[in-house]
Amino acid sequence: MTVVMKLENITLEYPIARRYRKEKVQPSGVRNISLQVKQSEVVGIIGRNGSGKSTLLKMMAGVFPPDSGTISTRGSVSLLAGVGIGFNKELTGRENAYLYGALMGRTKNQIDVLIDEIQEFAELEHHFDRPMRTYSSGMKARLGISVATSFKPDLLLIDEVLGVGDASFRKKSEDRVKEMITASGSVVMVSHSMGLLAKICTTIIVLNNGEIEYQGEPIKAIEYYNNLFS
Amino acid sequence: MKPAKIPPNMESEQAVQPLTPLWGKRSALRLPFIVMADIIRSRNLLKLLVKRDLSARYRRAYLGYAWAVLEPLLLAIVYTFIFTILVGSSDPLYPVKIIIGIIGWSLFARSLTSSTKSLSSSINLFQFARVPKTVFATSGVLTNAVLSIISLTCLIPFFFISDLPITLNLLFLPFWLLVLSFTGWSIGLLLAPISCKVPDVLNLINFLIRAGFFLSPVMWTYDMFDRRFGDGWHAIVAHLNPTVVPITGMRDAILGTSSAIPNYGYMMCFGIAILGYIFGSIVFERNAHHAVVNV
Repeated sequence: MTVVMKLENITLEYPIARRYRKEKVQPSGVRNISLQVKQSEVVGIIGRNGSGKSTLLKMMAGVFPPDSGTISTRGSVSLLAGVGIGFNKELTGRENAYLYGALMGRTKNQIDVLIDEIQEFAELEHHFDRPMRTYSSGMKARLGISVATSFKPDLLLIDEVLGVGDASFRKKSEDRVKEMITASGSVVMVSHSMGLLAKICTTIIVLNNGEIEYQGEPIKAIEYYNNLFS
Repeated sequence: MKPAKIPPNMESEQAVQPLTPLWGKRSALRLPFIVMADIIRSRNLLKLLVKRDLSARYRRAYLGYAWAVLEPLLLAIVYTFIFTILVGSSDPLYPVKIIIGIIGWSLFARSLTSSTKSLSSSINLFQFARVPKTVFATSGVLTNAVLSIISLTCLIPFFFISDLPITLNLLFLPFWLLVLSFTGWSIGLLLAPISCKVPDVLNLINFLIRAGFFLSPVMWTYDMFDRRFGDGWHAIVAHLNPTVVPITGMRDAILGTSSAIPNYGYMMCFGIAILGYIFGSIVFERNAHHAVVNV
């Protein structure tokens, strides 16, 4: 299968404030990550808080470069970084959808074609034309997933957005991700809901202290992860 | 069953596209051109960002965009009052000169600040997808340029009250506005990466902008300066301020006058703008991406 993204020996350490530097604490970040994401693959990333999951996703999205190592991609990459992150509170759902599309490099006409589909999938009804600051967190998540999946990037990175909202919407977004895969897109997702990951992932990576501890089949990876704590 | 051993480039249409490294090496000399090309390519996004900034700025105010016109007008009233009382100036065109000074100076000051702050203020937006980070500095500067043009409409009544001449010189007005915002933008690009690592840069900029208000021809004019100091070394130092020539140029364009700006004054003004851009774009592209880690 075609490789969509390839990470080779990625290392990034966050700077430590000078006053903490004497204490010889290990800087947070990720170390020596090598990883390949293939076409039509769903890669899950699990790990404790602060184990480097979001940092890894941000580097895959090209927000900042690693200290060392190389990242290569093929095609477009998009990151959905948490509920409501990146959306403007004062703008309406519709305006935010247009802004997101423009950030993805789409023209106004291309977005015009998709906008009805986005509105329908998000099920926001009249809220779609109200400012985002009036949204509940579930509504923000709906808009985010709807917008991010509608623009169909070759690789979609999802940070803890999937698996929120009510049961019917969770089912819908699961189906949406599967749809993306069959249309030869790939997904990398960070989540703490193991049930969801076990259902849709093809591989799962366990991150611990910024390093890959385990990589393999979903069931085994989740088992490994649970054993880390016992 | 999958058929075995298909050459990789036959698997799908997308396979034709090769794997490209995200952070390839680029030579410094090409960076100023890369930045320009990035901005031209993102004009769609720019248009949307400027529209968003403009509508967000006065969205909740009852008077809306009228504030863009009112701000320089009200300031001009205060300064004219102080200046005529304290200094005893009797120039009937003094209010007009002050309004132009305020609009020109605030365009430069706002362009500089918004471009310096652009990395930290738009961190959320460049997480979605790979977007050139210079776009956000540019959109802030363009927004301010549009606001300045709106502000300039407060001068229209003066063309009737003070009988200002309507000449072709007015065509220089947009040019000087462009020079002011371009210079502010370039210096901002230069400072944006370091301001992520050392936030004190923003405090310094705030101070410089306050001091610069008095050191730039906002309340005084080029003629006043010329009469006092003439051709001495003071004049050369004063031209290091990149707003002196453009603001004077704006006044000349509107009032139909011509100030005695020496050639070296023009050269310093354009030189600072162009060198600022070359260094600014190189420093930004080399450092901004990694500096974002600190935000």
